[in-house]
Amino acid sequence: MRRSAVAVAVVGLGIATYLTIVHYAGGEPVCAVAHGCATVQKSDYAQLAGVPVALLGVFGYLAILASLIRDTETTRSAAAFLSIGGLAFSGWLTYVEVFELDAICIWCVGSAICMALLAVLSTARMLRSPPPVRVRAR
Amino acid sequence: MTKRELREQRRAHRLAAEQAAVAADTRRRRLWRLGIAAGVAAILVATAAAVSSSNDAPPPTADAASIVAGIPESNGVLGDPDAPVTVTEYVDLQCPICAEAARQTLPALINDYVKTGKVKLQARTLSFLGPDSVRAAKVAAGAQEQGRLWAFLETFYTSQGTENSGYVTDDFLRDVAKAAGVDADKALAFADTPQAQEALDRANGDAASIKADSTPTFTIKRGDGPETIAGVGVTDLSAELDR
Repeated sequence: MRRSAVAVAVVGLGIATYLTIVHYAGGEPVCAVAHGCATVQKSDYAQLAGVPVALLGVFGYLAILASLIRDTETTRSAAAFLSIGGLAFSGWLTYVEVFELDAICIWCVGSAICMALLAVLSTARMLRSPPPVRVRAR
Repeated sequence: MTKRELREQRRAHRLAAEQAAVAADTRRRRLWRLGIAAGVAAILVATAAAVSSSNDAPPPTADAASIVAGIPESNGVLGDPDAPVTVTEYVDLQCPICAEAARQTLPALINDYVKTGKVKLQARTLSFLGPDSVRAAKVAAGAQEQGRLWAFLETFYTSQGTENSGYVTDDFLRDVAKAAGVDADKALAFADTPQAQEALDRANGDAASIKADSTPTFTIKRGDGPETIAGVGVTDLSAELDR
């Protein structure tokens, strides 16, 4: 489950990195949906307090990857915590795309799917891992 | 059963009970953490929404339309009415790429082709992004009646806000109109007439006839020839125009 989460996080990191590069290069993302990506990328929602949301995505995926390096109760909780936050943020951005901008950015949808998968994998991993064994002194 | 076996059995039961208690405690703590994560996520989204909705657009300024200053405009057509080539831009005033095209595509087009009499430029103001687009397009039609459509468009783009956030109020449109040199009262009054709706219907019909499904779409028409799509989005039309 941890390997699957790492793979999904790497894909998400790739998407976020690409969108960040496009943002700073000032170009338009390659897009399968007519100009939806450019519309989203150029909209006011593409930045949050001056920080590109794509860059926030890069930081988010890096943090999730960092939490997946070790397999402890703390890191499992951290991965779930980060991916649930990421899923909520991605969900809000998808809502903005569909209902505010009337445009679909296929890269953003891809990232949202990655976050959803990470949230499911991380939550299941946290809940299904065995409880810590307490060594009892005799 | 011997005493030793009984002791072992009690010990096994006690260990199993302790392990079950640890498992229940762990599960409870994990569910608590998930609940906290969900709560933090909700706060995160609410904060993001609040920060985004406070992205105020700059107020319109009188120099926003300097690019079209001094160029004759008649019935929404900018430039020499006898220019051999007609470039039509299909726009939605709320579309951020249209604002980007106004900054990146239009200056070269206007300076190199419109001002030199090679091209006349006209706009078709669409309104598919939402109700704010409809009101804006109708007031733009009012500006066109006064020969100030392009000044209105350019000024609007510099103050463009978040799509469908309700920023396109009559006060906002009045400020844009004034900054663009448009009689705001007349333009807003025209927006309430059937002629304003007819202008929108005509623009939508023209867009449908050339199958323009996104904005901005630029078309080229040479003389009485057919109108063909020359570019979509932020684009350089010089290669097409120099052919």
